[in-house]
Amino acid sequence: MRAYAPGIYPRSEALVQATRDLDRGRTTAAEVEQQRQADARALVAAQEEAGLDLLTDGLLDWQDLFRPLAERSDGLTARPLTRFLDTNTFYRALLVDGPPRLREPIPAPELPAGRWLATLPAPSALARAARGAASAEAFAADVLAAQIEADAQAGCALVVLVDPFLAREGGVEEAISSLRELPEDIPLALHLPFGDASGILDALADAPVSAVGVDFYATSLDAVPDGYPKELVAGVVDVRSSALENPDELAAFAEALLERNPAGVALTVNGDLQFVPDSVAREKLVRLGRARALLAEAVTA
Amino acid sequence: MSVRLTTREIGSLGKPSWRVKAFAGRPIEEGDVKEAERWGRRLEVSGYEELVEALGAAASSTVLLGNGGMPLAEIDNWASRYAIRLLEQAGLDVVYDGEQKRTEMYDHVAAFAHGFEPRGTVRSFDNKYYAKAAVVERPSADGPQDVDELRFVAAHTQKQVKVPLTGAYTMEDWSYDEHYAREGALGGSAERRLEARRRFVEDVAERVIRPNVVGLVEAGADWIQIDEPAAATKPDEVPLVVHGFNAALRDVGAEKRSMHICFSDYRALWPAVLELDDCLELQLEFANRDSRELGTRAEDRPGYADTLQLFAEHGYPGVGLGVLDIHSDFVEPAELVRDRILFAVDVLGGPERIQVNPDCGLRTRSWDVVYEKLSNMVAGARLAEDVLNVAHT
Repeated sequence: MRAYAPGIYPRSEALVQATRDLDRGRTTAAEVEQQRQADARALVAAQEEAGLDLLTDGLLDWQDLFRPLAERSDGLTARPLTRFLDTNTFYRALLVDGPPRLREPIPAPELPAGRWLATLPAPSALARAARGAASAEAFAADVLAAQIEADAQAGCALVVLVDPFLAREGGVEEAISSLRELPEDIPLALHLPFGDASGILDALADAPVSAVGVDFYATSLDAVPDGYPKELVAGVVDVRSSALENPDELAAFAEALLERNPAGVALTVNGDLQFVPDSVAREKLVRLGRARALLAEAVTA
Repeated sequence: MSVRLTTREIGSLGKPSWRVKAFAGRPIEEGDVKEAERWGRRLEVSGYEELVEALGAAASSTVLLGNGGMPLAEIDNWASRYAIRLLEQAGLDVVYDGEQKRTEMYDHVAAFAHGFEPRGTVRSFDNKYYAKAAVVERPSADGPQDVDELRFVAAHTQKQVKVPLTGAYTMEDWSYDEHYAREGALGGSAERRLEARRRFVEDVAERVIRPNVVGLVEAGADWIQIDEPAAATKPDEVPLVVHGFNAALRDVGAEKRSMHICFSDYRALWPAVLELDDCLELQLEFANRDSRELGTRAEDRPGYADTLQLFAEHGYPGVGLGVLDIHSDFVEPAELVRDRILFAVDVLGGPERIQVNPDCGLRTRSWDVVYEKLSNMVAGARLAEDVLNVAHT
């Protein structure tokens, strides 16, 4: 029974200022990187203190979910500013001017082997971000597979594949098919932030992943079938709200989920924590860790 | 009767460097003084020498504006005077002050109203961020917010004035909710979430925006523009946007009321917008999606064709035609503006429902670019009128 917080983490006010200053020519990239590393160290410490099982460096230099892979791949350019779902944030959609192929993998974070998770866009999400100009299978085989291999060799314990579009826009068959192109030597989890997953949970039961992440602020508990064959990674911390969760309520919700007898339950956030400011995100991590501890106690008892 | 198209801005302009530095407590530099002088002269701002003198004094000493130098309120007034003159000199028929006295459209309201608390900075995209607040209790306002601003603008222009106000739905959508949706969110129903959002929108509309509108109309405003950039973010909730508009303007005698929406999927707006009460027009962003080539056929105007068809199909309301891309320094030639207008006239079957504006506020562009863009917009409107008037004779 684990808890972890994948995705892009908010930048501290100091890092926000540093990046703003960089854009205005008032500081250097080296100074921004220094601040980013300080933020990342503090974030790792906060996760450990909260008792989370898998760690992340917060992806603090990621401009959006798709950019790092796009910048390291032939055939892809990130350009048109595009609204991210129904939020007041934007990503740069992908222009495809040749077969997408990963040129060099995203470097692994400096975290202990076996203790860290990687966040990557699911192949189906990449295809959607490219407006269908390349298929999910192509993104899986020629971009993501090499990245996942590199992460596995660097000691990654879990790859979280994020698809923010799947629960809203469909295409689950193609999504599942593309996942079959990915390496099988590392656990994969498919996360579905900000969407009602009730319509696709059944289909995802056959997906080649070990876990499915569900946003339970958009999905009713009643939508979870009894005896679900995958681990359910329950998005119980709401990254779209600044309200702080009550760990007792989170644990109680997870217990109710366990009564439906899924293959397993883990606790997580329902999307990138970057949707709340840094100070709020820190407190949410604490509550996520506390809920995990409470759940473990309840299950043991 | 000859065709005459009305030209307007949408809202925000960038703030002059001397205004930004004064409010940030940063020293004024010689370049700021020169800019104030250049624009004061170019725009023929009455008495601009007083500002230049104050800035010059600040630049040559350690005195900060607002702290021994010219008071910040007076700096704000100068920024307003300059912005009004820029819009007038560019030839617009309807002006405001480029929202020089507002921080930005969301924070302006959240910082004034009761019930909101700042929560910090979140990212919009890349290295761009915005401040976000949470609603922590039922929002309310002690009275109208923008009456002094309106009075200042009205006292400094002979042009028609249009007051831009942030809409209730956008305030709701851009805020965290620590009040209405506090309970039962985890694993709860969509209906419950929507009901929480409806109550939030209604309270902002009735208890924050409407008192402002009432005060503004009493002070002489006859055109209220409700800005709802979030309007189509959640397509199912467009009826809630309409509800917020109607609640904010209920029983208010504003002669003209309109709504501005941008960077959205406009297909979501109809049929709900047919329920907007007495809405003169929707001012929308089009140019951002359009080609920069000349032409008046549908294939020449990809940014306009589909959305204008919706206006044509439904017959209501009018259209504030965005003809300037506010995210680009590309200065649209007057002929391009002309063709965009003529295409719209063709789709709508006449010019009666069309007025002309930029896609959105121009705050991200330099004043040099803004001035050129707006001047060309006005020139393009005149070119279009020439064509239309010849056609009608």
